Amino acid sequence: MGAPFDITYVFGYLPKLLSTLGMTLLIVGGSLLVGIVVGFLIALPRLYRIPMLNTLARIYVSFFRGTPILIQLFLFYYGLPEILKLAHLDISKAPVLVFVIITYGLHTGAFMSETIRASVTAVDRGQVEAAYAVGMTSYQAFTRIMLPQAMAIAVPVFSNLVIALLKDTSLAFSLGVMEMTGKAQTLGSLTQHFIEAYISLALIYLVVSMTLEKLLLIAERRLLRHEETDSTGHRRFRLEQKSSYRRMVASVDAGKGGTEV
Amino acid sequence: MIQLTNITKSFGRHQVLNKIDLTVQKGEVVVILGPSGSGKTTLLRCVNYLEKPNDGEILIGDYRLNCKHASKKDIYQLRQKSAMVFQQYNLFKHKTALENVMEGLVVVKKLSKEEAKTRSIALLEKVGLGSKLDAYPSQLSGGQQQRVGIARALALEPEVILFDEPTSALDPELVGEVLAVIRKIAKEGITMIVVTHEMGFARDVANHVVFMDGGVIVEEGTPVELFNNPQEERTKQFLKRITPELNYSI
Repeated sequence: MGAPFDITYVFGYLPKLLSTLGMTLLIVGGSLLVGIVVGFLIALPRLYRIPMLNTLARIYVSFFRGTPILIQLFLFYYGLPEILKLAHLDISKAPVLVFVIITYGLHTGAFMSETIRASVTAVDRGQVEAAYAVGMTSYQAFTRIMLPQAMAIAVPVFSNLVIALLKDTSLAFSLGVMEMTGKAQTLGSLTQHFIEAYISLALIYLVVSMTLEKLLLIAERRLLRHEETDSTGHRRFRLEQKSSYRRMVASVDAGKGGTEV
Repeated sequence: MIQLTNITKSFGRHQVLNKIDLTVQKGEVVVILGPSGSGKTTLLRCVNYLEKPNDGEILIGDYRLNCKHASKKDIYQLRQKSAMVFQQYNLFKHKTALENVMEGLVVVKKLSKEEAKTRSIALLEKVGLGSKLDAYPSQLSGGQQQRVGIARALALEPEVILFDEPTSALDPELVGEVLAVIRKIAKEGITMIVVTHEMGFARDVANHVVFMDGGVIVEEGTPVELFNNPQEERTKQFLKRITPELNYSI
């Protein structure tokens, strides 16, 4: 079972693993971008209840939420070239990274679409009516009134998604992408100091997660500054923020009557 | 002048408005009364197309719109002629009081920021909120929020301001401050259509009172006519129920 435990290896591995942090972050960043675009494309037909597309979007979401990411990776990596071959498109030479980013992107998109949907519905409908009454077009009402508030509501869920995605990227190694987890495996097998490699790896993931969480918390505070009343101070805990989220959800549809536009 | 002709609206099979005709002269304050479910709020919402009438014609100022053939562009045009004050205030929660008032001026009326700001500050001072310019709606009381809502409506300089039960969501002790502001702007000759349950207010501010029930206008007239000498049985019933203190004499 490998070489005896030696703490110095943990520190020795850190710089070696950090050299592949860029790859991990590239996967995270790339798939977030794909995910946000896909998320909107999937959320919009559901928000506006467009008949056929609505059903397709639901099937899409249940597929990506209901199957393990590892299987999705294999399906896309081995399956996609086969399907595209039927359309006379050869992508078997495309870099693995492309498949990885697409798969993670589509996977994140499914979760993202649910987040977008929930946040947009959580913004009080009355404000949209007020925007229309002021004379705004539906596009102006969406971008100026809905979106900023929906984003603030979405941030806590979004930060969970980002951190889950960061950790999920460790599976990209199974397709042979040399990101952090892959590097740790390799280092481990080279020296037989597996535990040290994994401790080192865990430390890096932890620090990166915590940094991301902090950054997103700052973003959330900024986006939610209108929610702060005089009585609540500047330091607020996550639990309280959750309750404020619920408050916003609870105030949905407080107005009278429905609208069609 | 505002003229509604033959306004008809149904939700599914339920007919809410049945061929309503209503004319409001420039500078007039019209109060719409009626039991809940009588269609008064729906009628008000039809005037600025938050509710799409199935049939009829809306004339505001010099703009005429046939509800059967209304394009999106027509609707935006029509909406710019009116402004609305909502029961639940419906302020933009992520914007300060000042930004709430400025929003329409900058985005819709395309005023410069400075011009919009000067105008908005003046209006907020008018409704007594000169010291709350940078407060977010969550930091304001219901009455203050509603006054911001009124300033927001005034800023657009519409042909008509529509008030949808502006005091129904307020604590009783805050009702007064909002009514005082509405009274003040009524005196300035701004055309208003008000749906309310405040009988006292209706009595001394309205030029014209309309009583609705079951999707039709049952009776209309001056406040004196309607309150002191209602002609229709349904109006009498309603007034009796809503002003029980008039039932006894000392």
